[in-house]
Amino acid sequence: MSDLESLYPFLYAGKSNVDAVLSEVCRSTTDKTEEITRLRADVLKLYRDQLIDCASAMARSFAAGGRLFTFGNGGSSTDAQAIAELFQNPGPAGHPLPAAALATDVAVLSALANDVSFDVVFARPLAANGRAGDIALGLSTSGGSTNVLRGFEEANRRGMLTIGLAGYDGGNMAEADTIEHLFVMPSSSVHRIQEAQTTTYHVLWELTQLALNPA
Amino acid sequence: MVAELTGAQVDRAFERRTEPTRALGQDAEAVGRACYDMALRFHRGGRLLCFGNGSAAADAAHIVVEFVHPVIMGKRALPAVSLANDAATLSGITRLGGFEDSFAAQLRLHAAADDIALGISADGDCPNVARALRTAGDAGLLTVALVGGDGGQIARIEGLDHVLVARSDDPRVVKEIHVTAYHVLWELVHVFFEQPGVLAPSVLG
Repeated sequence: MSDLESLYPFLYAGKSNVDAVLSEVCRSTTDKTEEITRLRADVLKLYRDQLIDCASAMARSFAAGGRLFTFGNGGSSTDAQAIAELFQNPGPAGHPLPAAALATDVAVLSALANDVSFDVVFARPLAANGRAGDIALGLSTSGGSTNVLRGFEEANRRGMLTIGLAGYDGGNMAEADTIEHLFVMPSSSVHRIQEAQTTTYHVLWELTQLALNPA
Repeated sequence: MVAELTGAQVDRAFERRTEPTRALGQDAEAVGRACYDMALRFHRGGRLLCFGNGSAAADAAHIVVEFVHPVIMGKRALPAVSLANDAATLSGITRLGGFEDSFAAQLRLHAAADDIALGISADGDCPNVARALRTAGDAGLLTVALVGGDGGQIARIEGLDHVLVARSDDPRVVKEIHVTAYHVLWELVHVFFEQPGVLAPSVLG
């Protein structure tokens, strides 16, 4: 039985009409919204105190002149970009803070990948631009991306605050001793992991703002 | 000076997601119908063109990578492009043609009638996303909008094919609902796409 068949047995039952499929996909959509709500509740239960510790450390770093560097591959690179954009451009009620997403510089990324190795595409820019007291935030749904792990090694070596977002069981990121604040989304669905990671970085941003600008 | 944070602040932040997520589940039929129409366009050889500003530009890139490089082994790659990735093109068009034309100008060059235009705007009030959706609709593309809040000016555009509204005024929460929505869009497009019966010419009417 294929993956698709096991997920959607109706497709193979001979009832190939649009309404039947629509009713199944509706159920599937509702299931997914319930799944992400449960996962967010699990993340809150696991990490309430660590979120406070991490956001407090980020606020201290920014207050001392630190900058945020974000990195990840694929969908996670777009999260890294969204995080940098949010910190820098939070809207009229927020306090803008300096941040940069490493994968957005295609010249640096492709030069390193072509000339050295894809494993160093985040470590090298961190070595060039990162200073002690800056923040390195890396995302990997599997926790196993070598270039993200190498980025954390470099950031740690430079005395930066290190923050990781992962999924599944945390993979190699959970084994690494280079990540000070690690948040592992306890799910085996890449999509739900990404959704819970999005909530996690939004909450970290909100708490950082609250720590820097108490109401 | 850095203020003390409390567990109650964390709890409130998480709680703000619950109701808008449930509301997305209640919009399941609208999501399913959008997926069906998107699958029909892909079936006819159409491509997906995505656009948005700020965090939504990152979402446009994320949607493209979902379709072009599926996370599930064995799913076929489907054609998708973001109009928000190229800083040189975007800033060049904006300088000469103005901000409102930044995506519409690219659509006029690249879009074909079978394509799908997917615009993302957390408050529905991005003028360049609105103009691009109008341009796309006039050119016969399937138009899909992911918006939030009260839907803004985008939800009021006449003739858009699918407008999915995340039920929150918090742009961060809206983004999270959009991420779940486009993950579901990707998955369900494949469900329709891989079921030949529902995409057969007789069903197209």
